[in-house]
Order: sequence, then structure tokens, then C-alpha cells
Amino acid sequence: MNIVVAIKHIPSIADDLPVKGNNVDFDSVDFVLNEFDEQSIEQAVLVKESVGGTVTVIGVDLIGELDNVLHLALAKGADKAVKITGDDPSADSHTQAKWLSEAIKGLSPDIVFAGVQASNDLDGQIGPLLAAHLDMPYIGGVSSVGVSGDTATVSKEFAGGVGAKYAVTLPMVVGVQAASKPPRYAPISKVRQIAQTATVEKVAPSGDASSGLTFKKMAPPVAAGHAEMIEGSSKEVAAKIVELLKSKGLA
Amino acid sequence: MLTTIEKIIFIALALISAGFTFHGFKTIVDSIRKGRSAPELKNVPMSLVKGAVTVLFQRTIFKARKGLSAIHMGLFFGLITYAFVNLFDVLEGLVPGFDLVYGGKHIPNAPTGLVNAFNLIADVMSMFLLVAIIVFFVRRFIVKDKALTFRENILLNPKVKAGAQNTDSLIVDIFVIMHVIAHVLSQAYRLTDGADPFMPFASFLNSIFGASQTGVHVAWWVSLGWVMFIIPYLSRSKHTHFFMSPINLGLAKQNPRGQLDAPAKVDPGAKFLHDLSWKRVLDSYACVQCNRCQDVCPANFYGRPLSPSALEVNKRYLLKEATFGSHPDLYLLPLTETVISPEAVWSCTTCYACVRVCPVGNEPMADIVDIRRRMLVDGAELDSGVQNALQSLATNGNWMSKGKRLRGRWAKEMEFPVKNATEEPVEHLWFVGDTASFDERVIPNTKMVARLFNQGGLDFGIMYQNESNAGNDVRRVGEEGLFEQLVEQNMEAFGKAQFKQIVTTDPHSFNTLKNEYPQFGGKFEVKHYTVTLLKLFEEGKLTIKNKLSHYKVTFHDPCYLGRYNGGFTAPRKLLELLGVEFVEMPRNCENSFCCGAGGGQIWMGKVAPGERPAENRIKEALSTFGESANAKTQLFVVTCPKDMVMYSDAVKTTGNEGRIEVRDMIQLVAEGVGVDA
Amino acid sequence: MSNDIFVITEHMDGKFSDVSFELVGKAKELASAWGGQAVAVVVGSRVAANVFASNLTLQIDDAALSQFNPEAHGKVIEALVKEKSPRLVMFGWTATGMDLAAWLSARLGVACAAYVKNIGADLTMTCQAYGGKMIAEVAPEGDMAIAACLAGSFPAEAGQGSTAAITISLPIDLSSLKVKFVEAIKPAGGDVDITAQAKLVSIGRGIGSKDNVELAEELAQKLGAVVSSSRPVVDAGWLPRTRQVGKSGLKVKPKLYLMLGISGAPEHLEGMKSAELIIAVNTDKKAPIFNVAHYGATADLFEVAEAMLELL
Repeated sequence: MNIVVAIKHIPSIADDLPVKGNNVDFDSVDFVLNEFDEQSIEQAVLVKESVGGTVTVIGVDLIGELDNVLHLALAKGADKAVKITGDDPSADSHTQAKWLSEAIKGLSPDIVFAGVQASNDLDGQIGPLLAAHLDMPYIGGVSSVGVSGDTATVSKEFAGGVGAKYAVTLPMVVGVQAASKPPRYAPISKVRQIAQTATVEKVAPSGDASSGLTFKKMAPPVAAGHAEMIEGSSKEVAAKIVELLKSKGLA
Repeated sequence: MLTTIEKIIFIALALISAGFTFHGFKTIVDSIRKGRSAPELKNVPMSLVKGAVTVLFQRTIFKARKGLSAIHMGLFFGLITYAFVNLFDVLEGLVPGFDLVYGGKHIPNAPTGLVNAFNLIADVMSMFLLVAIIVFFVRRFIVKDKALTFRENILLNPKVKAGAQNTDSLIVDIFVIMHVIAHVLSQAYRLTDGADPFMPFASFLNSIFGASQTGVHVAWWVSLGWVMFIIPYLSRSKHTHFFMSPINLGLAKQNPRGQLDAPAKVDPGAKFLHDLSWKRVLDSYACVQCNRCQDVCPANFYGRPLSPSALEVNKRYLLKEATFGSHPDLYLLPLTETVISPEAVWSCTTCYACVRVCPVGNEPMADIVDIRRRMLVDGAELDSGVQNALQSLATNGNWMSKGKRLRGRWAKEMEFPVKNATEEPVEHLWFVGDTASFDERVIPNTKMVARLFNQGGLDFGIMYQNESNAGNDVRRVGEEGLFEQLVEQNMEAFGKAQFKQIVTTDPHSFNTLKNEYPQFGGKFEVKHYTVTLLKLFEEGKLTIKNKLSHYKVTFHDPCYLGRYNGGFTAPRKLLELLGVEFVEMPRNCENSFCCGAGGGQIWMGKVAPGERPAENRIKEALSTFGESANAKTQLFVVTCPKDMVMYSDAVKTTGNEGRIEVRDMIQLVAEGVGVDA
Repeated sequence: MSNDIFVITEHMDGKFSDVSFELVGKAKELASAWGGQAVAVVVGSRVAANVFASNLTLQIDDAALSQFNPEAHGKVIEALVKEKSPRLVMFGWTATGMDLAAWLSARLGVACAAYVKNIGADLTMTCQAYGGKMIAEVAPEGDMAIAACLAGSFPAEAGQGSTAAITISLPIDLSSLKVKFVEAIKPAGGDVDITAQAKLVSIGRGIGSKDNVELAEELAQKLGAVVSSSRPVVDAGWLPRTRQVGKSGLKVKPKLYLMLGISGAPEHLEGMKSAELIIAVNTDKKAPIFNVAHYGATADLFEVAEAMLELL
């Protein structure tokens, strides 16, 4: 079974995000793997472990640092890594999805995984865009995937534990919300070993698509209101909270 | 003395005994050689001599249990004496007319004075031995000292659980008692001319039993017959300790305490017994199972299923069954099933107390790190907190899931510019560490350090986002690959910087930078900030404006500053300069008690009920202060950001707020110098 | 080409979700500015659709659409939009809308904006990106645009009404679908219902590890509250999914929402912002939650929780 995981390298929101012009200043931020992609890689590897096959992880290399992420994916159980040499940190989801879909076509996938969303999906997520380009059905918000023959059974979550189970004739694109098990830890020694021995296949970007969005402004939110901040030591904070709760009859 | 037939029987028995003994020790040596290679030892002959001298003066046992140690010392010298006693007894048996009683008057040209001296020593030592062994017997079998037992939740070899250690002890106790009594009796029966003033004990027995040739023969055979049996037995019991501890001490860890041995490149760490280095296989033969390590183990105190001594004991019994018990298949069982439970593996705080207190130079802590290393590589399920921390360290270079660029944010809020050491040369490169850089509770202290450095005219800088976690705890969690990655990142940053020395706030960073970075080519002069500050005072660049005599203070030695690196004096001198009233807790310096946060514990959730090490420590501090009559504020002073967190918490959970306050040294220094927060 | 605005409504078990009304309300406002119609699009089977204040409600009714099926619903909406060419198609940025909006954008080659919080009369869309740390203003090119809007961005009342639905025929054949609905998944029973609680102690990633959840449980117990959480805590398996607040979790409206270690990503805010009293404790003084909470404190959640335990 050919399993493909499409990943997205995104600016880390652990940092403050500096602005340059009308967009994030991509030169001054760290890029990390989209957290939902960690889940989708895990789900892909779980599927491989249960039915066999190969997992190919593919992403657009926006800033020349995707290798690190790909090595990590290989250490977690992926078999093959491909990067599309995009070299444009501002490439949006539409652009990335187009490039990815062109490269993925050549892999003749049975199932494609993507993270359900990313924090910078301003023009939509990779998963459904890929599905449209590859002409495959898409289901997002997925929290478990089982494959049997040419059928995948996926559970989609709506909200609050309510969801639906679907049977899908493969191939399809899955937008993973959470893998059926929490993602495993890849020992860095393994990652480093892989970094020395593994080859990451390079693919030039092909195809052209744009989100059709023009950025007019990008800025941290101007808070409409701000919480009344309780100052002091933790103990003082606790005391004030308790006092507040008591005054409102909540404790 | 012996008849020809007796001589033939004796020599035959001696040969058989020697055969069994040889087989015993060969088996032991073979089993040790199965272990992996250890870091190359330097100067082995000299080291072995040192080991022997250490044993001769019993230097290492007095680190704990002073009274019992004195008795052990008596036992030791008694047994040494008995090596000669037995030699002469054999000569008395085999050489006609060889008889040492009455100054050896039957032997031509005997050095009477020397013989009398020996007789007196042997006689007195015999009494001493008996007393010592009876004390130990009573301790183990009558009083049933709890220190010799293991808690229920600790994984034990089935034989140990069934009391095999006690059987070993019983056999040796009975041997010593019988052997000594038989020997003294054999001398007493020789005293045909009445009392020998140089043999008071034998003379006393002679006054009861009289002299008897038959008695001499019987007692001689009892005394030496036991020896024939006991010597081969020793190799098969925990008392191999007699022979192995001097060797183990001689070959003990030569690198700094704070430097872990690098793991093997292939199959790093330990899953099976022989994944351990041969030295750590040897450890279990040197171990006499005294449980002193268990006494000082903070995890054990906390009720966790960890006992470093159980680890060694289990290794020993596993080896015994695999070799003498002919069950080599036992070697194929993972250590986590046979010697230490996985939960125990993850309970260790790597405080080094067990290694330090061990009288025979064992390193159970190193075994635990090796077991962790393999678990990591084998993809064992990790504690969720540890996994989060490691993931963040791999991605962000800090365990607190903070962005790299935020590392220097506190410095940008300072009222004076803090140099970026990767951009301009500085004398002191301040390695700030994660907690001091990111934790909002600790940042005020970090800023105070900066202000004091600034006021003292210290030319310093930090590396801002180029600094990564130094990796001390990462390595101790067993994630060697991540540790190497962090070292590389920091080495790259150091490469960009020009500096003369490194100063650290965090003892953990201090330890690994000082002791382990050299393994990766990073040879720097590394100082803890307490030393740097002290120097500023000594050079007159900082002066105390306000004496802090209104404080009554005790100081907690952090493991990685104190026990690991001997940084005991600078903090105490600072306190002296500050003019506080200083009192020392019973467990101080080398013997300090871990706060419980090291070795990755700080990343794990609170797991066990029961009194935590940090809580115990706060109580220790309070009892040290006593019921003070004066109204001084009582302070628990720390020099490690982790301690700040651990002990502030413990003060609350023990309900001692108002009685004792936790302060970082820097807060006191700032108050003394008059630098505002 | 028209100036109409299509709102793709969503419903479950015959009940429309709040976001559908919110979007219809907003669509009306835009429609009156543009001189077009606000069209509520109801795709389903036997849904009582006369509930919107739309200018027009189009209902497509087929048994194959009785349950949400991204493939079937997608195809129907695509065909409809292609035929009618509205100026703007609005989806909720929800579990269902997220499956369709970007997909439709790629199918039709029209611009799409997600995380939309507001839409101006000039079609400038304000989006809440980067976990709430950034607000972006984007302008779509072309004659048609798609907006996937965060729930709770507009008042729902303006969308409520009774416009009679006009049923139109299935615009596309649905006989050879690759996606088949198998069954509905109900929430795991036996757990407490967090939406029915007056007080919630809600924990986020800051709780650090599974073992620490116990501390929150203790605090909740003392307060007579129940523990809820943000998504990462549930994804890590530290709490059951029934405790999750937010877009993919539950919407709650308790009297007290005490947040420990939650930074306040937009997905979470969606589920709790109408709580009566929101108190947030977080170590990051720049956490977005402080823009929403009534009271906040930059402090260690463990210390605060333990101190509170002593005081309660």
C-alpha cells in the first residue's frame, strides 16, 4: 500500500511573530512542523504497521530546513522522504498544495494523509486542496483510520465526541485531527543517524496555483478588551481568585 | 603435630578446596569479562595499590554509619590477622615441633618477642572478631535492622526475596564464630604449662578445659576444616566482597563524577546484563549488600520502587544463578524484568548520593542511565511529561516549549544593554539556562544577577537565542542523541563567541559544561555564579552595604554544584560576607539531600503520595533552626533555579509558610549590596 | 455573475447550528450593501428549513444527503455554486465547513479565506491566524470568493427568521459515491456532561503531563466544578474527548470558567467565550487568552492551584 503524508512547515507560534510589510517577517521566525502533521505522520505509520506498505513523507521546503523534519518523520517510521524545493517562505496553501499534488501524482498513492489544519492556513488547508487536485474524496477531522483491502474506514469528529464513521473506496485524502494513538517519540540518535544516511528526494516545484488573496495587513490583534490582571505572587494570585469566587458565590 | 594420615587427608582436602576456589573465581572472572568494554583505565597498578590502601585504612566506610563502620573495621583487621593465624596454624599442623605458644619456646632460635607480640594480637583480635560478628549477627537476626531489608514495592530476585542473603550471612557468621572459637581452643589445649600471659583469651579457656592433645587435634580440624569449606564457598556468596571490593575500588571511576561514560555506538545502553560494562558487572561482586546507598536515595525515601542496592543485589543473584546455577538463559532476560523495575528506572534523580556513599566504588546510578538509554532507543513508552520536554528540547532547544527567540527577552527589558556574546567579545560568557531565561518566577532573579554583574563591572554577555539547553538532564534521562545535538548547537554558538570563561546560573548546566563538554572538544573554564560573585567581593568591586544579621540562614547544596563538583565554599563564604546567622543542616556538602528534581524528575508529574524529598528537607531545615527565641526571619537559601521551584512548593505543602522562606542566594546578595529588584 | 451571497448552512439531527444563523445574518448585511440576496443553502434530507431570515432559502433534498457526506455535499454545492455564480460563498470554519471550503476553492479556482472573523463591504476579510497571535486582512481576487468563518463571529439573531425554503432538484448525480456513511458516533457515555456544568476548571498544554491532571481534579472537586480541557490535552490522551472545549469539542457557557495553562487559540475560544466569568492563569504574559478573559494572572498554574486548594 502506498501511503503518502503531505506535511507543512510553518512559522512557530512559540515565538512572537514579527511583521514585515503586510505579512509575517519570515526571515525572523523559526519554522516548525505543523502540530497536526505530527498526528498525521503517526496515523500513517500506524496504518502501515497494521496493513503493510510504505510511507512517503512529502513537503515543500520553504526555507531550506525541511530535511530536519523529514528525518524526524523517517525516524518515526516513514520509509521515504521527498521535498519540493519551493524556497519561498510565503508560499500559501494553494501554491503548496498544487506543487504537492503534482509530485504526489507520480507516487500513485492509495491513501494520502495531511494534518487537518495549520495555524497559517489563511487560504484553506492542504488536505482538501490536494483532494481537489488529485480528484480524490476528502474527509477531515479524522481521529482514526483502518484500512482493509481497498476500503478505508475513518472516524470523523464533529464536536464534543459526536462524529461519524465512513467507509471510503481508496484512494482518498484524510485530514487528521488526532492519530488513534498519541504520537511516538523518535530518539534523536536515530534521527541523527538517519540524517547521515538517508537520502531525501528533491523535486522541483511544478504547476501553478495561487490563493488569489492579497495581504493588506498583518498585525498582532488589538485587544478589544483585556483581562484585569491580578498581580503578585502565586499565593497572592490564588488568594485574590478565591476571594473573587467567594464574592460571586462561586466558591 | 598431625599424623601422617591426617597430613595426607589435609593436603588432599586442601587441593580439593583449591580446585573449587579456582573454579569459583574463574567463573566470576569469565562472567565479568562478558561485560562490555569500559573506558580505558589509566595507571592500573598504581590504582590497584590505591584501592588496597583505601581498604587497609577502611577509608570509604566512614562516610556513613560511623559506629557500625568501626565494628566493620575491627572485623576487617581481625580477618587480616586471621590470614596469618591460619597460615601459622597450618604450619603447626604440618611442621613437627612448630608451636607458637609461650613465645614459640619449642622452636629453636624463635624470635620470642615477635612471636609473643603476634600471639597477643591474634588472641585479642579473636575476641574482637567474636564480638564484631555477634554484633552483626544480632543486628541482622535478632534486632532485624530495617536498613538491611527492602520495601515491598522493590523488584527482587526470587532467591533474595526468599532470604538468600540471610542464609549467606548466617553461614559466614557461624563460620567465623566456630572458626575463631576452634582456633582459640586449639591454642588453649596446647597450653600444657598453664597460662601464657600473651594469650589471655586462650589461657582463660585453658583454665576451664585444661590441656589435651586430642583437643588440639579436634579443634585444629574444626578450625581449618571450616576454612577448606569456606574459601570456595566465598566465591559463591556475597562475601566475594572480601576479594572484589579492593579491586573494584582500585578500578573505580577515574573521570570526573559529573561525566557520564559515553554509550556504545551500536546498541547503546543496556537491556541485558552483559550490555553493562565489565566494571559494572564487577560492581555486583564487590557489593556486600549493606544498603547504605538505599539509605541516601531520595527516590527510595519518597517511597518509589527504587533501591540502588537491590539493583546490585539482583545483578549478583542473576549472575549466580546464570553461572553457578547453570542457567545461562537468565542472561537473556531484560534487566527491567530481573534487576530493576521500569518504574524504578524512571525514579532516579541522578543525585549521585548512592555512588558517593558506596564504600566499594559501585555505580548503580550509571546502570540506571544505561538502562534508560536503551529504553529510549528501543522506543519504550515515555512518561508524557518527559516526552513533551524532550520534544520541545529537540524543536526549541528548551524544555519549556518556548520559542528560541524569547530566550533573551528578559535581557531586552533591562535598564542597561546586555551584550550579545556571539556578536562582540566578552570576558564572561553567561550561560543562563532554561529556567532562568524563561520562567517568569525566576526571571526577577536572573535580572538581579545581571545587575550585580553590571555593578561589579564584570564584562559579560549572553548568547540570546544562540544558547540551547546545556543537556545535563537530557543526558541523564538517557537521550544521548538529543544531548549530542544540544552540545553541537551550543558548541556552534560558543564558536561564534569570544570569551575567557563561562559563568552559569544553573548547577546542572555548570556540571555538563564543565565535565562533559570536554568529551566533545569543548574545554572551557566554567564557573558557577557564586564563585564569580565571591571574586567580585574579594576584589572589592562589589561591597556589602547592608549586613543581613536579621536573617537566620541555612544553605542547601545542590547536587550538581556540591556533591558532583565540590562547590561548597563559595556559597558559604558569600553568606559569611553577608553577615547572616548561618546554621548547617545535618545533611550538608557531600551528604546533601537531593531536592528530587534532577535526572528528568522535574519533567514528570507528581506521582507518588508520601513525603517528598524536598518536604523532608524543609523539615530538616526547620529542626536545624530549632525553636529560635529571636525573631529572625528563617531562610532556606538555594543556588539552583530548580531548587527555588521545588522548595517553595515544599514549604507550602508542609504548611510552613511564615516559618521559613526560600530565597535564591542572588536575592540575598542583592539585598546586601543594595541593588533593587 | 450576481451579487448574491450563499451561506452553506449546517445541521445535525434536524437542528441548524448557531454558525449558520450567524452567517446568514452577516450575509444579509452584505447583501443589502451590495444589492444582492442572502441565500441560505440547505443540503440534506427532510430538514425543516424555514428558519432563516435569508432573502432566499434554497433546499436540496435527497436521501443520499441525509447525513453529512463530504463527497456528496461537496459535489452538490459545487454544482449549485457553478450554476448560480454568487459573489460570495460562506462556510463555517467548522468540522463540516473545513472539509468543503478549500476543496471548493480548488475545484472552482476561486479565492478562499479561512479563519475569517469579519468581512467588510469591500470584501476585505479579517482573519485570525497563527493561533490567534495575528490578525490578517486579505482581499480576494476575482468575481467569486469563499469565506470560511469562525463560529461566534457575528450575532446569530440577525439570521433567524422564517423564509420559506424553495426546494430545487438535485443538480448532480450521486449514484457512484466513493464515500459511504456507515454510522454515527455518539459521545462515550458515562462521563459527565461539561455543557451542563455551572463551573469548569479547564486545563491546557501547560499542565505538562498526565499525572498533573490530578491536581486540576482536586481543585475542581473543591470548587464543585468539573475538569475540562483544550484539545492538546485530549489528543495526548490525558482526558477523554468528552471533556474537550472548543471547536472540535463542546461549546460551554458556565458561570465560571477557570483556565489553567491555556493560551487561548481561536479554536478554543469558540467553545468558551460566552462563559460568564473567565479567569485565566498562564505563564506567558502575551497569551491571547488575556484578551478574552475577565481576570488574568501571569503565574505558575501549579502554584496557584495548590495555593487555592489550601484556601478553599
